[in-house]
Amino acid sequence: MDSLSGLLGGFTALANPETLLYMIGGFLIGTFFGAVPGLTSVLAIALLLPLTYSLDVTTALVACASIFMAGMCSGSITATTINIPGAPASMMTALEGYPMQQRGEGAKALGHAALGSMIGGSIGALLLMVVAPLAADVALLIRTPGKFSLIAFALIVIIISQRGSVTKGMIATLLGVMIATIGIDVVQPVARFTFGTSVLVQGIDMMPLIIGAFAISELLIQADSRRARTVDLSQVQAARVRRRDFIPPLSEVREIGLLRYLKSAVIGYAVGILPGAGGSMAAFVSYAESMRSSKHPERYGKGNPEGIAAAECANNSMCGGAFVPMLTFGIPGDPTTAIVLGVLIINGLQPGPQFMTQQLDLVAPMFASLFISALVLIPLTLYLLGPYFLKIVSIRRDVLYSSIAVVALVGSYVATYSTFQMALALVFGVLAYFMRKQKYPTVCLLLGFVLGPSLEEYCRRTLSISDGNPLVFFTSPDSLFFIALTAVFFYFMVIRKPKDRGIPGQAQG
Amino acid sequence: MNSRRFRLGGGFYFPAGLAVITLIYLVDAFRLGPPMRDGNMTASFFPIATALIMLVALAFAMWHSLRGSFATSAPNDTADEAEAKTNSASPALADRRYLGLSPGAIGVIGLTAGYLIAFDAIGYFFATALYVLLLCLLFGGIREKLPSKIIATAVITLAGYLLFEIVFQVRLPTLWSQ
Repeated sequence: MDSLSGLLGGFTALANPETLLYMIGGFLIGTFFGAVPGLTSVLAIALLLPLTYSLDVTTALVACASIFMAGMCSGSITATTINIPGAPASMMTALEGYPMQQRGEGAKALGHAALGSMIGGSIGALLLMVVAPLAADVALLIRTPGKFSLIAFALIVIIISQRGSVTKGMIATLLGVMIATIGIDVVQPVARFTFGTSVLVQGIDMMPLIIGAFAISELLIQADSRRARTVDLSQVQAARVRRRDFIPPLSEVREIGLLRYLKSAVIGYAVGILPGAGGSMAAFVSYAESMRSSKHPERYGKGNPEGIAAAECANNSMCGGAFVPMLTFGIPGDPTTAIVLGVLIINGLQPGPQFMTQQLDLVAPMFASLFISALVLIPLTLYLLGPYFLKIVSIRRDVLYSSIAVVALVGSYVATYSTFQMALALVFGVLAYFMRKQKYPTVCLLLGFVLGPSLEEYCRRTLSISDGNPLVFFTSPDSLFFIALTAVFFYFMVIRKPKDRGIPGQAQG
Repeated sequence: MNSRRFRLGGGFYFPAGLAVITLIYLVDAFRLGPPMRDGNMTASFFPIATALIMLVALAFAMWHSLRGSFATSAPNDTADEAEAKTNSASPALADRRYLGLSPGAIGVIGLTAGYLIAFDAIGYFFATALYVLLLCLLFGGIREKLPSKIIATAVITLAGYLLFEIVFQVRLPTLWSQ
């Protein structure tokens, strides 16, 4: 009962004009960043991170949630109109949305995408509110050996979910772990890898790593090309779009069916809970399942609203699922929740099993923000701004990237009022640039950096308690459970690889 | 004579560079002391274990790249020659790279490094205005829309100041506060 009133209190908190303003502002920023090819909602949240030093934690979390939801949905705009997904999670939407655009039904495709996102996002947020407290109760049962095995499970799943580049995923994760070991040891008061300098004794802050990996590296990648605008408007037919064109016909919504929406939402939510999976995998799995169970699978890849609904419903529902492991176990499964974890840590908060009960008043507005963003802001934004979407996202690159550079670098300065943090952001930016060029996942770098210290701490504590006997990881039931789970995932994701055959566009890579 | 030559690319050099960094890290980890003491892990155990696994993974990545380079190399033609032919066929010089970096990326790195020095030395306003203007020229071309770039520079610099100094109460360095 306390949980319910606490969760409802989250909605009341959104009535505060300042909090509401940050939610709407965050949503608009997320829509913009999600829609512009090359920019992502992760970058938007990364740029927001330095500002959380001055913001109230609740307000910052509310803004993060609305950016996350908006970014996941708005990738469908350019995916549909110019066949370039604004975000990786919209790749499956492009397969169906762009053929619809070519038939002159682009507005309707965006309407289906928004409806799917609205339903999926709302269900995902509701499931988060229901499941997170239960997961927190389960998390209380996990002891130190189990915590080590759980983090190891998360890291291994993150690595093996990098389809086709497991070695690169492993290298990126280990690099993140190595960077995290710089500074004071997690157990003993010993300074490590400072190389005789005092600036490294306190370790590497999360902020320059995030700003470097997601903002500076993006600047460097964009500097490779010489296009004048982010989106070339000449690629889009200049057909006039009316607002009512965005409303999908009821007959098509009925054909898609409530069950498909629900199933896609549950798939997206479940995939979201898995570490490293993210919106792309949620959309892919849901799309594949929708195609498998469809009465007309032959229509897929030719502009079928069913495919758009399945993909968008799942990737927005994923947003809710992604918060569960972060809030209950302190284990972020994707970059967005890793940055949200950073927001909490900056404010002296550490998520874990008791976090949901002790700090519900702080996170309940974030849940409410996810729900309201999905249910109200997604359709409202499409209706009000839909006709102008492409003009908005076709901003001049010189203005856009110089603005991002200033916010990113000055933002890095905020943490310690020192240009050392800015220099670190540049160093990590160059590193991430090379990683991205060579197809090493920067997500793994960040998650290795975030989870590495806990992995080491729990490993050493466990062995200290068991007098150095490593068999304790196999004799402790909770630890054994996660080791078995890791083996199951390894079997299904590496040994028996999922097959992509039959999905349109997958054959081409 | 059918001589098969191959050229190493970023797929080899990047993990090789990381391997050098990892070796330095490993040497420093050993300096922390023995990995185990009285049956317990010490501060050096985890870094040593991480570095050793990393070196194995990097060796695998380099070997994979070497194998790929050898398999794709054409007989009687070096990759450099092949690349030269490709470049001569293409009028664009945008693909030219120096140490794996494009001229644009080198420009951004150079400008950003300069900005970091100028930020402390001449303060937020002058450093940011100069940085933004040069970035605008880099991203948007030198001759195109220069007046609008100057206006954009002024707006971005002022907006940054308002956002950080006024809205979020961050004390930014200024020339008059040095």
